[in-house]
Amino acid sequence: MLPKVMICGSPRWAHDEINELFSGIAEVIVDDAPHRTEFFARFELGGPYEGTVGIYRRNISAARIGIYDRALIAGLPSSVKWIAHNGAGYDAVDATDVSRTVGIRVSNTPGAVDDATATTGFYLVMSCFRHFSWAERSLRAGTWKNPISSALTHDLTGHTIGILGLGGIGLRLAHLVHAFPMRVLYYSRNRNPEAPEWCEYVGSMDELCERSDVLSIHVPLREDTRNLVGETQIRKMKRGSIIVNTARGKVLDEEAVIRALEDGHLSSVGLDVFPNEPSVNPRLLEFPQNALLPHMGTETQDSQHHMEVRALTNLKDFLREGKGTDLVPEMRSKL
Amino acid sequence: MLPRILICGNIQFAVAELKEMFEGCAEIVQMISPDRSHFLSSFATGGPYERTIGIYRRNVSAAAIGNFDESLINALAETTSVRWIAQNGSGYDQIDVQACKAKGIFVSNTPTVNADATAHAALYLMLSCLRHFSMAERSLRAGTWKSVISSSDTHDSTGRTLGILGLGSIGLRLAHFAHAFPMRVVYHSHRPVAAAPPWCEYVESVEVLCREADVLSVHIPLNAETIGLIGEREIRMLKKGSILVNTARGRIVDEQAMIEALEDGHLSAVGLDTYPDEPHVNPKLLGFRQCALLPHVGGESAESEKARELRALGNLHAMVQGRMGNDVVPELRSCLEQPSGSLPRI
Repeated sequence: MLPKVMICGSPRWAHDEINELFSGIAEVIVDDAPHRTEFFARFELGGPYEGTVGIYRRNISAARIGIYDRALIAGLPSSVKWIAHNGAGYDAVDATDVSRTVGIRVSNTPGAVDDATATTGFYLVMSCFRHFSWAERSLRAGTWKNPISSALTHDLTGHTIGILGLGGIGLRLAHLVHAFPMRVLYYSRNRNPEAPEWCEYVGSMDELCERSDVLSIHVPLREDTRNLVGETQIRKMKRGSIIVNTARGKVLDEEAVIRALEDGHLSSVGLDVFPNEPSVNPRLLEFPQNALLPHMGTETQDSQHHMEVRALTNLKDFLREGKGTDLVPEMRSKL
Repeated sequence: MLPRILICGNIQFAVAELKEMFEGCAEIVQMISPDRSHFLSSFATGGPYERTIGIYRRNVSAAAIGNFDESLINALAETTSVRWIAQNGSGYDQIDVQACKAKGIFVSNTPTVNADATAHAALYLMLSCLRHFSMAERSLRAGTWKSVISSSDTHDSTGRTLGILGLGSIGLRLAHFAHAFPMRVVYHSHRPVAAAPPWCEYVESVEVLCREADVLSVHIPLNAETIGLIGEREIRMLKKGSILVNTARGRIVDEQAMIEALEDGHLSAVGLDTYPDEPHVNPKLLGFRQCALLPHVGGESAESEKARELRALGNLHAMVQGRMGNDVVPELRSCLEQPSGSLPRI
């Protein structure tokens, strides 16, 4: 009998690939449980999900069964050994001690999101520097460019970007802005060996904030990164600075941002993510110079397809070789 | 007595430099005329603009005195000592340069200094059209999050082909920005550009450019040859679903043909910073939610504003000192060799 893998949140594009990847290797079932209680019930003896060893998971499933928090992970049967999350950000999957205790490993999809997400960050930087979002809205409202003061808008060239977290996305953004060029500074837990020499490492978040005209956030959301950019960090930035966030809303202290917009310490913010999506704090909308996107980072067919294939491949590799390539960092052995 | 430089428009960013540059060699006078008739009569002896030999011009002055058309140019030539018009801007279609040529008045523009700012705007418009970002922002502000967005209609830039019409300073900058993804970059200009990097592929005609491009971006000046250059025929040569970006001049593109192509989906979106009859915008364009429409702010950043002011003033400064300004417009370059292109005695 073939092992059973579950699709929890159907792929949009990679239908052919499911057949190609799992034909002859696994039985593929689709989860459509209307809520978490029913979800758990279906794993029971004789139920349709019994014996599932691996799960492909997409965020959309949260609408039915909630995120893969500790409670859900703890409720999974012991047959489940791998969760292949579709997404670079996997804060919706508990990958800490609970998963480890029950022997479940988690993979995400780094790399596949880099281009589309970095492009989104790039767009927000470009928009904020030049008040383009405001200008477009002014045109559509019939006021042409009347509210726009060119004295307050700037070229990217010669200005400094501070990249917080030089992983795949941060590095891609660095390459895109370098074409102007912007001066690129970064701060990460460790130096990135793949960083070109024009990417200058700085030794602290404080220094990154002090020296940047725009701070762009590219760190995952974890307990230790919640409100990582807060009142203190914002006030270390130069007056008139810009913050761009395409990572996770909760990394940035929203109240501190709003205060800084009110007193002009921050000239604008470019956000693709918010603490409680799809809800957006209406205070942010009061600043016309802000560029606010509804989590568009990976909203292209190309990227979504890549991400789906990446996650499904992790699941397949787990079945064939015992593990997928993209085991999340927390779970890698410290050898 | 010192000759005068007339500021038609205003100097905002290079105020200190203006003073320094002309100290002791020319007087600076601000144009205050409410209409053309006042303007022209003010150059007479005893008038506020008497002894003016050069004009710094911004398009905004047209609101009061109209464009520098043939009639105004002839009047300047015949009744004033103005012999140089320094336009602030790379576009100078509001000045009748042929009339200037006929009357021995030099015209300079400010090429290259707003290349960065304008290419930045073109890149922004392109990304917005590819990714439907502008529509997404409006949807968020309207409270509908991203419900209007369909990822089957949005695309990455990487690997797509950008077609640049006119590889001048702005087009070349855009090429560099696009190459960072990388996009494939093809271009058409009158002739291959020596300064173009090897990855910029020259194509022989506008037709070939349209066939190759996923995104067509316009970077040529507006003149008699380029009005409507991108028309029904050229638009239909683009692949279905293509994107058109225009940060040059509205009239280079046939607006009606463009709108029809949006209506039937031949063009998936357009990104515009210029329109045929600014500040008027055809309301039909507003009906296409996926379009990105900027109100001619492409060349306007604090850095670009200052650079343009300085560049235009630099041309006038050269003239005041009896030299030739660096930025005589192409149509008048041939005059540089001829005695009829002489400058007023100071």
